[in-house]
Amino acid sequence: MSAQAEATLELAARARHRRRVRRAVVRTISYIVVIAGALVLLVPFFWMVSSSLKELKDVFAYPPVWLPIPPQWRNYLDAWRAVPFGRYLANTVFVTVLGMFAELTSCTLVAYGFARYSFPGRNVLFLILLSTMMLPYHVTLIPTYMIWRNLGLLDTFDPLVLPAWTAWGPFYVFLLRQFFLGVPRDLEEAARIDGANVLQTFAHVMLPQIKPAILAVAVFAFRGYWNNFLGPLIYLNSMGKYTLTLGMYLFMGGVNEAPQWHWLMAMSTVLALPMLVTFFLAQRYFIEGISLTGLKG
Amino acid sequence: MEGSIYVGTLARYLLTLAMMSLLCLGVYGLLRLGRVREETAAGYALITPWLAGFLVFTAGPILASLGLSFTSYDLFTPPKWVGLENYRWLFSDILDFWPSVKLTLAYAFLSVPLGVAGSLLVALLLSMDIRGIGAFRTIYYLPAVLPEVSVALLWRWIFNSEAGLLNVVLRPLFRMVGLRNPDWFGDPKFVLPAFVIMSIWGIFGINMVVFLAAIKNVPRVLYEAAEIDGAGPLAKFWSVTFPQISPVVLLQVIMGIIGALQIFTVAMFARPTSAAGRFMNQLVYERGFLQLKMGEASAIAWVLFVIILALTLLVFRSSTAWVYYEAEVRK
Repeated sequence: MSAQAEATLELAARARHRRRVRRAVVRTISYIVVIAGALVLLVPFFWMVSSSLKELKDVFAYPPVWLPIPPQWRNYLDAWRAVPFGRYLANTVFVTVLGMFAELTSCTLVAYGFARYSFPGRNVLFLILLSTMMLPYHVTLIPTYMIWRNLGLLDTFDPLVLPAWTAWGPFYVFLLRQFFLGVPRDLEEAARIDGANVLQTFAHVMLPQIKPAILAVAVFAFRGYWNNFLGPLIYLNSMGKYTLTLGMYLFMGGVNEAPQWHWLMAMSTVLALPMLVTFFLAQRYFIEGISLTGLKG
Repeated sequence: MEGSIYVGTLARYLLTLAMMSLLCLGVYGLLRLGRVREETAAGYALITPWLAGFLVFTAGPILASLGLSFTSYDLFTPPKWVGLENYRWLFSDILDFWPSVKLTLAYAFLSVPLGVAGSLLVALLLSMDIRGIGAFRTIYYLPAVLPEVSVALLWRWIFNSEAGLLNVVLRPLFRMVGLRNPDWFGDPKFVLPAFVIMSIWGIFGINMVVFLAAIKNVPRVLYEAAEIDGAGPLAKFWSVTFPQISPVVLLQVIMGIIGALQIFTVAMFARPTSAAGRFMNQLVYERGFLQLKMGEASAIAWVLFVIILALTLLVFRSSTAWVYYEAEVRK
């Protein structure tokens, strides 16, 4: 082997080594950044839970108490009893279940119509549906309030759930339609040849095919109804009819009252709990659903 | 007695279902009677719920609120036509209207670019093939999962001027410069930074998941080709990743602007003092539902609507310069 070739080989080896070192450095830095990010993200969350387990005197202690020992679990009980949260939970569950069911049913049917049937004006109508995503909710708020007022249905749960029958969420329709478009047409043809009508084809052939999308929409709708604040704020007046978010608003107290932070943090944690549980159970669908929204830019 | 608050709603819920079904069947029947093709009739019947809802709860109310914005209306006496009276503070500074517009716009202009760039960075980081990244992704989704109300209260507590975590951490720093701890939600100088910091927490979460999915969708061949051309990581990002995901960036910017300008729940729970500032949607709520000035509230809502439309169009216009659609190039 000539000296020149040897030199070349050595150069190549050195380059490989350099590359390996660089890759290791990049990897280490990435880990550090990822871990730092996770900390930034978890510290506020940890602070919420930790504050919820403190005695009142520790809440404002300086330097801050990170780990309350012993944890004051009774804060949860006290906060829960301070305001009728049991009732608010029942109200929220009622609104959420009714709203979700109506929303899922109507959005799926509408999405199916847009995905599988051709009729004059379909594309224009679908564009209109998409453009309503950009509409600020507040611009329709007052006239909608007047509708419910004229119907004599203020201070009932009706304004929060009845509109769900009208495929209220343009985003859900969009998502479901995307999934319907991906189902092969042969399946329906076969069903139709077997003599199934529109609804039978829909229920027995199409629905099972788009189960992931339905679950994704269910998770989103659950979030939406569970967290809805503006609706209850405007439509519900009697304290007995409040939902959890509105109950929290009441619980927070007036501008000049000093909030009971350990109780508020306890209730924030309770409010977040069902979300966290659903997320860990349905993580796949949740993320699949979110991911799909971006792909059609 | 306990259950009675649910019975009425439940009955009307089922009634609405029945009426909606009848409406759909009616549309189908009428169209078929008029000898319309089966497929067309079924299509219209299926989208009838949305169409009905759109007319009653969207199209009607938008026009109605435009009309209301030219009236004085307190819910109890019929609306009185007042012309442009409700828009008068567009041209003056007697009320808290302009400060609110400024705060809302400033919030959108700061939080949207920071949020989009930040979540893109985080997504790039999480798209790397390093071990244990899956667990980190799950942690990073956390803010997307927490309810807005919890997030707002949590941050309000962190920003608390006496014992908030942020001021506790920053206290030595503030002492050094000889400043008192800032009252984040009580001081007009600090309320904007407070809301922007709060929004940055949101860079983890939903936006990031969308970007992550988009990045994963970029064909690997393109990176290989770029590598052969000797592209470094930065060059690969600007000439492969960014053009490929630019439609998603556009979508995120637009949805971000729309969302940021409509900030409401978080603001209601973070509860800045009125001296510190109000976002536009808070003004709509206060004018309309606390002071019963429905005309003024509608006018503010319409100004917000026009701002959102204008900014959205502007971003769309600019997008031809920086968004890359594969289909167009092929044409």
